[in-house]
Amino acid sequence: MPDQPQPVVDIRGLTKRFLGTLALDGVDLAIGAGEIHALVGENGAGKSTLIKILAGIHQADHGEIRIDGRIVHPHSEHVPIAFVHQDLGLVDEMSVGENVALVAGFPRRAGFIFWPRVWEQAERIYRAMGVDPPDPRTQAGRLGASGKAVLGIVRALSRNARVVVLDEPTASLPGPDAAHLFEVLHRLRGAGTSILYVSHRLNELFGLVDRVTTLRDGRRVRTAPIGELTPDAIVRDMLGRDLEAHHAASGAAGGGKPVLEITDLRAGGQGPLSFRIAAGEVVGLVGLRGAGHEAIGRTVFGAHPQDGGTIRLDGAVLPPQESVAARIRQGVALLAGDRLAESALAGMSLRENLFPNVPNVRGGLFSPIWTDRETAAADALLDRFDVRPRNPNAQIEWLSGGNQQKVFVGRWLATDARLYIMEEPTAGVDIGAKALIHRTLRDLVTKGTAVLVVSSDFEEIATLCDRALVVVRGRIAAELSGAALTVDALLTRSSLGAAPGAEAA
Amino acid sequence: MARTTQDTAPTPRTRGQATGRTLSHLTATYGLLVVFVLVLLVFGLLRPDSFFSAMNMNGIMVSQSVTALLALAEMVPLATKQFDLSVGYHLGVMQVLIIGLQVNQGIPWPAAAALILVLSLAVGVVNGLLVTRFRIDSFIATMGTGTLLYGFANWYSNGEQIVGMSLPDSFTNMTGIVWGFPLPALYVLVVACILWAVTERLPVGRNLYVIGANPRAAELTGIAINRHILGAFVVSGFLSGVAGILLGSILQTGTPSVGPEYLLPAFAATLLGATSIRPGRVNVIGTLLSVLVLAFSFSGVQQLGAPFYVQYFFNGGILIVAVGLSIYAARKRQSLAGGADGRSG
Repeated sequence: MPDQPQPVVDIRGLTKRFLGTLALDGVDLAIGAGEIHALVGENGAGKSTLIKILAGIHQADHGEIRIDGRIVHPHSEHVPIAFVHQDLGLVDEMSVGENVALVAGFPRRAGFIFWPRVWEQAERIYRAMGVDPPDPRTQAGRLGASGKAVLGIVRALSRNARVVVLDEPTASLPGPDAAHLFEVLHRLRGAGTSILYVSHRLNELFGLVDRVTTLRDGRRVRTAPIGELTPDAIVRDMLGRDLEAHHAASGAAGGGKPVLEITDLRAGGQGPLSFRIAAGEVVGLVGLRGAGHEAIGRTVFGAHPQDGGTIRLDGAVLPPQESVAARIRQGVALLAGDRLAESALAGMSLRENLFPNVPNVRGGLFSPIWTDRETAAADALLDRFDVRPRNPNAQIEWLSGGNQQKVFVGRWLATDARLYIMEEPTAGVDIGAKALIHRTLRDLVTKGTAVLVVSSDFEEIATLCDRALVVVRGRIAAELSGAALTVDALLTRSSLGAAPGAEAA
Repeated sequence: MARTTQDTAPTPRTRGQATGRTLSHLTATYGLLVVFVLVLLVFGLLRPDSFFSAMNMNGIMVSQSVTALLALAEMVPLATKQFDLSVGYHLGVMQVLIIGLQVNQGIPWPAAAALILVLSLAVGVVNGLLVTRFRIDSFIATMGTGTLLYGFANWYSNGEQIVGMSLPDSFTNMTGIVWGFPLPALYVLVVACILWAVTERLPVGRNLYVIGANPRAAELTGIAINRHILGAFVVSGFLSGVAGILLGSILQTGTPSVGPEYLLPAFAATLLGATSIRPGRVNVIGTLLSVLVLAFSFSGVQQLGAPFYVQYFFNGGILIVAVGLSIYAARKRQSLAGGADGRSG
């Protein structure tokens, strides 16, 4: 796609500094009319800073943004850019027409909402963008995944936006839905809309976008038409070097008795997939954020329905559809990824947060809790994890994120499990807590247990794990271990999917 | 213990914040107790002869025992953040039945009481199943069952008061005064002790609070949520039935219109109780203290010559002020906590 005389969006020399770090360093970016422009880069490369400046959330330190030639200041004025985030922000219980009207405005007659025009409006807006409208009276929640994504985009564009920024729109879309979304994006492009497309999935850029801008460490590395690029070239731009092979973590593993054996497991759109984890191993289960691979760990824990295949723990088959309680009894532990929503018991003490379900640790539902003994046990755990404040009666919300996470790791260590499934164990945790949690997990496996780390943090997987399984579109696309387990390799494999002939397991 | 000195000697800043936090925590914990003592002191001084008289004290104890039992009943499902709006109607219908079964059907009172307790358990099971199995919001489900119970009481009594003629002494003495001590208060005490042990010292009680704090987290730690919620409604039903039997014994009549007016005071006491002792969650001691504070302060105001309707202003005002203050205190604690490490969320 050739540069046009006047791009719709023209960003020059955009610079933003946070606490001494340059998040953006003189970035130029131009998007033409009817162009789909991809913005790629590793986490922390500056993509989200750029988007947040466009959205007016941050203010740039230097540089200018022009829209249709006019300098704009998104921080202080309304600009014709629409933003569609991964979660879309739709109201599932309301109709398509109402969801559109929430953004576009409700047509009224004599002060009251005029429903026939609400339906018309939704259809008109869909058609104006070259997209076939669904019945505007349908509940938004009943649209498929791609239908919802399209609705999110269409309604964002309804306020005469010239440009739409899509942030990881396919992160939670199954393959066929993604294909449908791409078709709609091409229609939008045909209708003259400019699209800035942010994605980690490099493969999908080919055949979809016109040009690609790669950021690294806050700088623009290159902007090039997609036809001149290859996936490898983009990865090289993102990393700033050729793919190299070095691995930091661990040495041992693999030889022990299998603790977890999974055969042809299907669950939550994932699979069929098979793998095993031996005693003494820390294994990473890696996928891009939103890929849904956490369903695998949850199924082993009994918190997600199993659609097929078998799960063996220490050689014995676990009956499918068993309860979480039953799996805990058999020695499975799962640290949930969403600390606030799935682990924290707000308003309750650290002691109670360490032992929320006492029978997991000892006794039954009706065997008395001796407060002093439990306090001593809590003290020991808080001490071991260096939790501050080291006071079992402090409430969990008084603690920093890192200290909270140490409490939740402690909660599961207290259950003395055979298999620890850790989802994003160090997300949003300070460096000290991160090191301590990593050390704890490595220590755990020396006692003959197994650890499965479910994460999208490649750095963590590369340093912590003995072996990593890369999940792409529900299948294990690669297995990396030893010297081959590097951040680069994880990034390449999870962004590109299976390398030819590398199908593992 | 090989710790650095840095650990044992906090900086003045964190020490100050810790003290502030502990202090605000303490005021929140014992606030209700302080208020209770103040109420006793103030009215004791203003009306020294009548306020502390045995008659006044016993009168309060007997009349409030029903409210207290109902408040404790309400507390159990509320620990899991489920409402039981049927307790008032439940109390009413059982009060009608305990008299009616004796007067109309000629059933001896122990048998009638046993039947009532079985029915009460059944009501609890129905409430619990509607909430857990049929996924009806507890507010709606229990409003429905409560209204049905109210209808049943009126159908059974034909809307008329059943006068308890020639009730056996063993039934009416059950709520009498023995050696200067009102028996109903004793029953409340027994129930409170059991409930305290369950909620504070048994894993099953902690699980109720865990479910209330974060049902998703409770699920992911292996707690059988539905079974616990069902159990909470069964306990609430059982205690409502007990309260109904006591009320029948106190009133010695069965009145179909009685019951609903007990719901809100019981609720108020439970919620007010959640501001103290264990700030932020419903608890046994806080609930009992609240019942006492509300009852004694109303009695005191009445003795100062206030008309009967003042009690409504009183209850409503105290509830809003106390809950408002406790939310303010919780926010303050939160901001102190946030300030300690610069964390957000």
